[in-house]
Amino acid sequence: MASKIEKEPKYIPEMAQSEIDELNKSIKAASIKVIEDNIERMKKTWKNRPKAMEYFDEISNLFGKRAKELEEQKAAGKKIIGYSCIFAPIELILAADAIPVRVGSGWYDTAKLGDRIMPVEICPVIRSTVGAKMVSLSPYLELSDAIVIPLTCDGRTKLSEMLSDFKPIWYMNPPRVKDDTHTLDMWKKEILVIKEKIEKLTGNKITRQKLKEAIEKMQQATKAFRRLQELRKGAPVINGRDAMLVNQTSLWDDIERWTQKVNELCDELEKRVEQKDYSSYPDTPRVMITGTPMIWPDSWKVPNLIEESNPQGVVVVDEQCSSDRILYDPVGVDEWNMSDMLNAISERYIMACTCPCFTSEHGNEDRINWIIDRIKEYKVDGVIYYVVRGCILYAMEYARIKKVLDKMGIPVYYLDTEYTREDVGQMKTRVEAFLEMLEARIDI
Amino acid sequence: MMISAGIDMGTQRVKVAIIKDKQIIAQSQNFSGFEPAKVAEQTLKEALESAKLSREDIEHITATGAGVNMASFADSTISMMGADAKAGAYYFPSARTIMDVGAEDARAVKCDENGVMMDFVVNARCAAGAGTFIEAMARALEVEMNDMGSLSLNAERASPINASCVIFAESDVVSLIHREEPKSEIARAIFDAMAERVSSMVNRLGVTPDVVLIGGVAKDVGFVASLKRRLGIDILIPEEPIYAGAVGAALVAAKRAKRRH
Amino acid sequence: MLEIVAETLRATIAVGLILAGILAILIWVKNLTRKLSAMRLFIQIVSVAVIFLGLIIGPFGLDQWAYLGTAPRDIVVGTNILGSPYPDGLTVPTFSCYYASGRTATCVVWQLQSYLFPDYATSNVYLTTGIERLAIATGFLVIFSLIFGRFLCGWICPFGLYMDLLTRLRKALKIKHWTLSERTNEMLKQSRYLIIAAFLILSFILGMNAIAGIELVSESELGRYLEIPFCQVCPAKPLFVLVESGLGYMDIDYALSRTIGDFALTGWYLTSINIVILGIVTVGSFMVRRLWCRICPLGGLIAIFSRFGPFKRLSPIKITKVEEKCTKCGICKRVCPPQVTDVYEEKGGDVTVSDCILCFRCVEMCPYEGCLKVEVAGKPIYKSKNWLNEEE
Repeated sequence: MASKIEKEPKYIPEMAQSEIDELNKSIKAASIKVIEDNIERMKKTWKNRPKAMEYFDEISNLFGKRAKELEEQKAAGKKIIGYSCIFAPIELILAADAIPVRVGSGWYDTAKLGDRIMPVEICPVIRSTVGAKMVSLSPYLELSDAIVIPLTCDGRTKLSEMLSDFKPIWYMNPPRVKDDTHTLDMWKKEILVIKEKIEKLTGNKITRQKLKEAIEKMQQATKAFRRLQELRKGAPVINGRDAMLVNQTSLWDDIERWTQKVNELCDELEKRVEQKDYSSYPDTPRVMITGTPMIWPDSWKVPNLIEESNPQGVVVVDEQCSSDRILYDPVGVDEWNMSDMLNAISERYIMACTCPCFTSEHGNEDRINWIIDRIKEYKVDGVIYYVVRGCILYAMEYARIKKVLDKMGIPVYYLDTEYTREDVGQMKTRVEAFLEMLEARIDI
Repeated sequence: MMISAGIDMGTQRVKVAIIKDKQIIAQSQNFSGFEPAKVAEQTLKEALESAKLSREDIEHITATGAGVNMASFADSTISMMGADAKAGAYYFPSARTIMDVGAEDARAVKCDENGVMMDFVVNARCAAGAGTFIEAMARALEVEMNDMGSLSLNAERASPINASCVIFAESDVVSLIHREEPKSEIARAIFDAMAERVSSMVNRLGVTPDVVLIGGVAKDVGFVASLKRRLGIDILIPEEPIYAGAVGAALVAAKRAKRRH
Repeated sequence: MLEIVAETLRATIAVGLILAGILAILIWVKNLTRKLSAMRLFIQIVSVAVIFLGLIIGPFGLDQWAYLGTAPRDIVVGTNILGSPYPDGLTVPTFSCYYASGRTATCVVWQLQSYLFPDYATSNVYLTTGIERLAIATGFLVIFSLIFGRFLCGWICPFGLYMDLLTRLRKALKIKHWTLSERTNEMLKQSRYLIIAAFLILSFILGMNAIAGIELVSESELGRYLEIPFCQVCPAKPLFVLVESGLGYMDIDYALSRTIGDFALTGWYLTSINIVILGIVTVGSFMVRRLWCRICPLGGLIAIFSRFGPFKRLSPIKITKVEEKCTKCGICKRVCPPQVTDVYEEKGGDVTVSDCILCFRCVEMCPYEGCLKVEVAGKPIYKSKNWLNEEE
């Protein structure tokens, strides 16, 4: 690093290097084990897992191939730009020949480290990310030259402050009301500021041609993603966990390679649709997950529970910014000039987003519409509303979603949890009861 | 003629019910102790003896409860909520909301006229809304747990008590005793606090009459009185609410056995 | 003799070109459903050719008065309606300008103004009374508006094509367009009805002599031209006259002779006011998509008979939206040429409004399968698609 930060960190306590090293080593080992265990469990549920999934298993190792690639590319002079949330305009990063990579963390063990400076009521995603920084665990976070942090919730607002001691932080201030006439103007200014910062950091000018190529690259990724989603609409040919993993790897993988691999997977799955080679029985209750992002690898405990429970459920779709929401919306460009492309990017990253951080007179209606549409399109039998403690926005929107779903006659279960493995037993009872209920309803 | 059995592996007790053509013919229970698997076998044996049946007469056994995995001899399992819904609708066909307050947790289930669960809530985070709370408080009050209910009925008012947590409540009770508050009023405060927890849980689900209360705690008159006061509606209680889970499981077993025929 | 050969040749080339174009488009459209805009452009060109078919087939250097000839266009222009000769051409509510010699259809705005006063009644050209002609023109306006609505603006109107070509030129030059604020847009939208009211009232006043014998403007030729006030400021008139003259179908000297001198301000073909307005509109619609459509009184007239009151329910062409499928991504709002916001803002159901020109660009660009639909008489004929699948 060019400039090692000398001044004392504002939040993070001083730790002996030996302690850091030790914790890093043990947590890393534990995490690799969790990753392997998750993959093992996915394979166990889906006996005939396609070959194309192997690539995603490999790339899912947060300390493996991709981290090495990034290291090499960084050594070759490429800039790596981290982002904490999918509000960050990926196209602009790609257009400047930099590498975008998501830095939010899902390690349960580092959340405990975060407890040293924050009360447990704080969102565990934040605690975990800060904890990971304390022991330099996340290779992506460590490699980033700058981090884009959209201030979508209170947790992220302070997270940016805590991380600012270590990395240049680029704040983005998303408007909280989408329907105002000035919303887009405000957000577009944020996008332009980020564009300038990216250009300054990388030294590459974002030209019209480059930006067009980046947009088309992401459109191809969206196309591949939608192709995979289309396959999930019918009888399950891919289990929810596997699809979620595929979706989530797009956050740190090379997007072109990812697109190609997803298309390979889809080729294989499309053949299986013809052969009626299903990943779960066609009458398995179809579950939708909505709520707090589930971050690989530790948060896989909930989808693991759902798909391994007795009776079994299959996650056919979700409404999470860690999976189905990442790539769903394309950047729709009307005129391929700089101004319209930037307009299109601004719109895509804020208007199409269904994050509960938005509010208005009608409330966050887009999210409700998304959920209703998905329930109809994917023939969802029941919804699991997943909330980690401290995720206020998702927790608060539950009552409204529940009302809407009750009217539709779709059962919804509020599953609250923490970044801990201890509550799996308790959750299992509840998840099983919910799936049993869904099954009973299907029987009727 | 079809005979099926249900076994409820509770946190404190193991309960077994045997039914024959929708009639309960035997029930038995034991403390789970440290070896619930053995106790389960034992309890089933006792129930079989009282019904004068042998193991082979039973077509299907369904297990439920927190320790469901311990009953390795069971043919199938059902969730506690599913069993509650079945049992509630069995005792009272008009039941739509079923509350189950056990030793360490409390649940509420909504069901339709067939006993199919429609929705449920669980309070498994905290024992302050379950039977163990009464037990701990009885210890603090130095009265028999079974007497606490009738004791509380004598009280005109309830003492102020911090009942957010079993531990805090216990120290509160001790200080109330030192202040020489009548025990009956303290007992009533304890039941009121518990009823408050259970009713706030069931209100999340929505109270649709008729309401049925099952589980071990349903036998406690003090708690039932407090809960009735709190919810403001009548509550139906079966004769032996502690076996409800086992009966529900047995009904499910009967259905599953029939499906196999 | 030579003329006949030349005419035949020209006609053959023209018909051949059109047929080839139709064939090409059909193949194109079949493979690429997203190319709705291309199809629209083609239909616009065909419509312009049909509207000004006389341009190609009719005789050269036509005199304004030469109506009843033997050329094909005269047969179309000199229609018989309800047994009455109707020599100005079929009423079509688009800018099929009266002043262009070769037209087969006539702009309803001209007809409404000129038929408001019946002083032509006794002339040898018109055998019907002004009131009858007014009734026929209004009837056509209502029928066309009711059936097609502002589809005419988006797909048929020659002046719309002119603006679209300017937009295409701007796109090719990669110049960004200006966006009018919603307030300005709303103001323009309101003002079109003021313009309608103004020109109708004005032509009524100027025609008072003919109606009531009261002479407000002296019975000079100038006065008579002023009886058609809107056409003296309309940007389409000089455009078509210039295009026709440029192509040699109109005698430019004749047009100019009628413009210079006494008629410098309010002449028949080219007037200074007209040309200035055309210049402004040209520059304006180069920078702002479909600028004129936002103020167009003809569009306003069509909207009255297709999007308001009982007409709204009868009008068959509609854009509908499925609320749940919409993520409010805003693409529909951004790509709309006349900057209609209602498709974006309305929750669902019928989202067509009076300023929508039914170009269906929003439906074409919406990336969500089946969110926006074009319905004709309740039947969906085109819907938004996951266009990523077609973008190669």
